[in-house]
Amino acid sequence: MGLETLRGALPPYAKDLKLNLGSVTSSSSLSEQQLWGTVLACAAATRSQRTLRELAEEAQEHLSDEAYEAALGAASIMGMNNVFYRAKHLLNGAYDDLRASLRMQIIGKPGVEKVDFELWSLAVSSINGCGACMEAHEAVVREAGLSREQVFDALRVAAVVAGAAQAVEIDAAPGAEATLS
Amino acid sequence: MLTIGDQFPTYELTAVIPGDLSGVDAKQPEDYFTTVSSAATGEDRWRVVFFWPKDFTFVCPTEIAAFGRLAEEFDDRDTDVLGVSTDSEFVHYAWRRDHEDLLDLPIPMASDLKRTLVSELGILNADGVADRATFLIDPNNEIQFAMVTAGSVGRNVDEVLRVLDALQSDELCACNWKKGEATIDASALMAA
Repeated sequence: MGLETLRGALPPYAKDLKLNLGSVTSSSSLSEQQLWGTVLACAAATRSQRTLRELAEEAQEHLSDEAYEAALGAASIMGMNNVFYRAKHLLNGAYDDLRASLRMQIIGKPGVEKVDFELWSLAVSSINGCGACMEAHEAVVREAGLSREQVFDALRVAAVVAGAAQAVEIDAAPGAEATLS
Repeated sequence: MLTIGDQFPTYELTAVIPGDLSGVDAKQPEDYFTTVSSAATGEDRWRVVFFWPKDFTFVCPTEIAAFGRLAEEFDDRDTDVLGVSTDSEFVHYAWRRDHEDLLDLPIPMASDLKRTLVSELGILNADGVADRATFLIDPNNEIQFAMVTAGSVGRNVDEVLRVLDALQSDELCACNWKKGEATIDASALMAA
């Protein structure tokens, strides 16, 4: 169950993702909490229930209850913020004078180390595709002391989890070659 | 009257317990009473403390019941709600038993019989009772919102909730950073 189940479920054409999924989760410059929080938040952000089910099970073994909740919280709040702030950014400042008036208390009190929550927010932003949010969160985690290598590792995790989720969903689509049992 | 930026005074008051009174297995009046104290405020909790002049008057039950109906909304916002007047706890108890809208009120009704709190807040009026005042207090015990209305003007509890939402809706996300701003204040964000 967990990571190995997901890897095993990937079809032959997604072998690169299967191998990448193994490597980004086995050797990493990230702490265990940073790594598995990134995996979990990204799995949630892919919106693929099959991917989330397997990776959540695996992440649970590496994360405290607080970190597990916070990672899902990061995926959720960024689901809102990436849409809202991306829209604001894309409208070129035309609405910068207005208040957001949206609650985002979890960012102030995530229940885990703030830098970890910021890193997960960055990874989720990369999946949701908000360049300005990524730029902002990258600056925060770098200023808080994370290295370029650590940022890059988190982005690798996001990319591999997103790709694996894509493959799993392709394979599960009606009419596609069914290798998932 | 104390206002925004002021520290809310400390208090320790006798109150009628929240919830359905008819379900209480009471042997004596004291079983319906509890103590509410500023020192017992939970960490990171906000507070709404509101006052009315006299129990058994007409406007009051409507707005007290309105605070009661929204108790869960306030709790979702990490906020405790406390209602206070200068009537004794026994009068509070009698009023709650008497009025169907107040029978299962989910918030404590406190008695400031000695008028210490209302005096310190500056809301003790010429009639010797509390003005119809409402305070929103943040987790640092600082008053963030104060409102008082004259005579029988009722309160709009939804407005209190709206203000609370606005106070709690800081744009904390780094996403709010705009291009052109020199740097993101990471230390401030980390300390938020």
